[in-house]
Amino acid sequence: MRYYFVNQDMEEFHLDVEKNGETNLLFKSDSQEKKLHLKKLAGKNYYSFDGIAWKKLTSLGVNETLVSNSETYKVYRGFKPSGLNKGGAGSLITQMPGKIVKLMKKVGDNVVKGETVLILEAMKMENEIKAGVDGVIKSISVSEGQALEAGFLMAEIE
Amino acid sequence: MMKGKRVLIINRGEIAIRVAKALNELGLVSVGVWTDNETEPPHLEFCQEWVHLAGNNNKETYLDIPKIMKIIEDYKIDGVHPGYGFLSENREFSETLAKKGITFIGPNPEAVYKMGAKDISKQIAKEAGVPVVPGSTGEIESTEEAIKIAKDIGYPVLLKAVAGGGGKGMRPVFSDDEMKAGFEAVRREALSSFGYAGLLVEKYILNPHHIEVQILADKKGNVFHVFERECSIQRRHQKIVEEAPSPFIGTDEKLRQEVCETAVKCAKAVNYDSAGTVEFIMGEDKKFYFLEMNTRIQVEHPITEEITGVDLVANMIKAAFGEKLDFEKQSDIRIQGHAIELRICAEDPISMLPAPGKIAGFETTFPQGIRFDHCIYPKFMITPDFDPMIGKLIAKGLNREVAIRKVRSALDGLTIEGLKTNIALHKVILREETFIKGDYSTAYISKIKPQDKVSKKEEMEAFMLKVAAIELNAGEL
Repeated sequence: MRYYFVNQDMEEFHLDVEKNGETNLLFKSDSQEKKLHLKKLAGKNYYSFDGIAWKKLTSLGVNETLVSNSETYKVYRGFKPSGLNKGGAGSLITQMPGKIVKLMKKVGDNVVKGETVLILEAMKMENEIKAGVDGVIKSISVSEGQALEAGFLMAEIE
Repeated sequence: MMKGKRVLIINRGEIAIRVAKALNELGLVSVGVWTDNETEPPHLEFCQEWVHLAGNNNKETYLDIPKIMKIIEDYKIDGVHPGYGFLSENREFSETLAKKGITFIGPNPEAVYKMGAKDISKQIAKEAGVPVVPGSTGEIESTEEAIKIAKDIGYPVLLKAVAGGGGKGMRPVFSDDEMKAGFEAVRREALSSFGYAGLLVEKYILNPHHIEVQILADKKGNVFHVFERECSIQRRHQKIVEEAPSPFIGTDEKLRQEVCETAVKCAKAVNYDSAGTVEFIMGEDKKFYFLEMNTRIQVEHPITEEITGVDLVANMIKAAFGEKLDFEKQSDIRIQGHAIELRICAEDPISMLPAPGKIAGFETTFPQGIRFDHCIYPKFMITPDFDPMIGKLIAKGLNREVAIRKVRSALDGLTIEGLKTNIALHKVILREETFIKGDYSTAYISKIKPQDKVSKKEEMEAFMLKVAAIELNAGEL
């Protein structure tokens, strides 16, 4: 599973995680590989980087924000946020959190400016998300029924 | 008889918890409130009865006197504890309660009024023979007049805009020449910033120390001091680290007695009859001047409790109901050891600005003897509606060195996830030389700049822990 971290300046970091044995995790970033040992004790989770020194894991893992001193990161599990794509007229990005109701186009389809590419439910309303330019659908990174954060790149037109 | 009396706590957060604990311990009924903008306040856990104080903002809730009076009537309340902030120093509130025969757990309305008005309180202090910061008695009209006063009180002096405040509209002046150059400029500044050009001249105290004395008085005319605290580490004119006793006064017992007895004099001058604090500003020459008196329980009261063993909140409640205090004479109160309090706030550790958010995790692993007065729980939402202070970490040691050791260790064992806190800033302060020596003034933050030394966690490790928590929560492991 790949995790993405995007800070206030829209700088993006990613980390791959996989199970390593029953309770351990193996992390891979571009530059390093690190193991995390996990153990449950008296109803609480503990972690260790070396399997010898242990500390309590504080986070409940419930919100998608990570605060490290003065830095704040948005955390995305398994999908790539639009952070580095900046989004021109050909990029369809969610303006607010929502859910994909229906995909009207598929990769490779031709679209003209103003044509509906997909339908997004947000704020209890269905919104037709239209192409901002004429072109070909280059990518669609969502599927029907998927819930999305604000700022997520749904599709790209070239 | 005080037992069984019904007391309404018209506050929230950690202080509401502190008050409820004292009420329960004394055998009174603690009545807490919840509001529409905080429907699950953690303080209710400690309150025996819960009342809905309807409203979505402080003006409609904790500051709404008629609404509070209605609750008092409906729920047959005998007394009210205001905590700090909100209505704790509000003359109208204490008078309204007095008229209805409800006990206000605080001083008499007259004392609230006299100490609440800056000019009146200074006048009272002066008349009681308490030194106040020397300066002009009224507004200064000309450069010549300013120079004359500066000569009388001695340079450096502070030119201060009458309409200023919060550290703005002030300029230190060190000589006649500087006064000639600066007087009109500060007047113009005052006019453009505050719309009023009036200036005062006051003695400028270089690198001052904020020293305050805890007062505890009863309704029988007994006024005691519970020694001093030093609260010189401040940002935005708000304290973040407090110590008792003051490291600046140190082992100078004569000075300590003088400061504490002067505070008692101030309290007696207004027939004080509750817990309160007399604040002084002390120069490098150890001369001290009256600043103001806070007629309420203060945020930093725990450090005094820790070094003296006096339960200030419980005694404040006993005093209000006309009961005997837990001790009889001044000599019953003695200092043992040293205590330090760190205010834990939801704020950026570098910019020191409030940063509301949601608590995504909270764990403590403290050394022996730590006190943590707080209102934190997992998933707790810190909103901009209330003060960003969410807890007070208090350590007591046999001496200052031990207190620092303990509070440092406690800080390492305190983790709050999901939002920015000033924990990282406190970690820097506790390892910084000036602080360790106890040699700091109110200029500490601006001079030493500990905020610049706040380090960033190694990202990879922080990322890993977050991912592990999410995977565990999602049941993937």
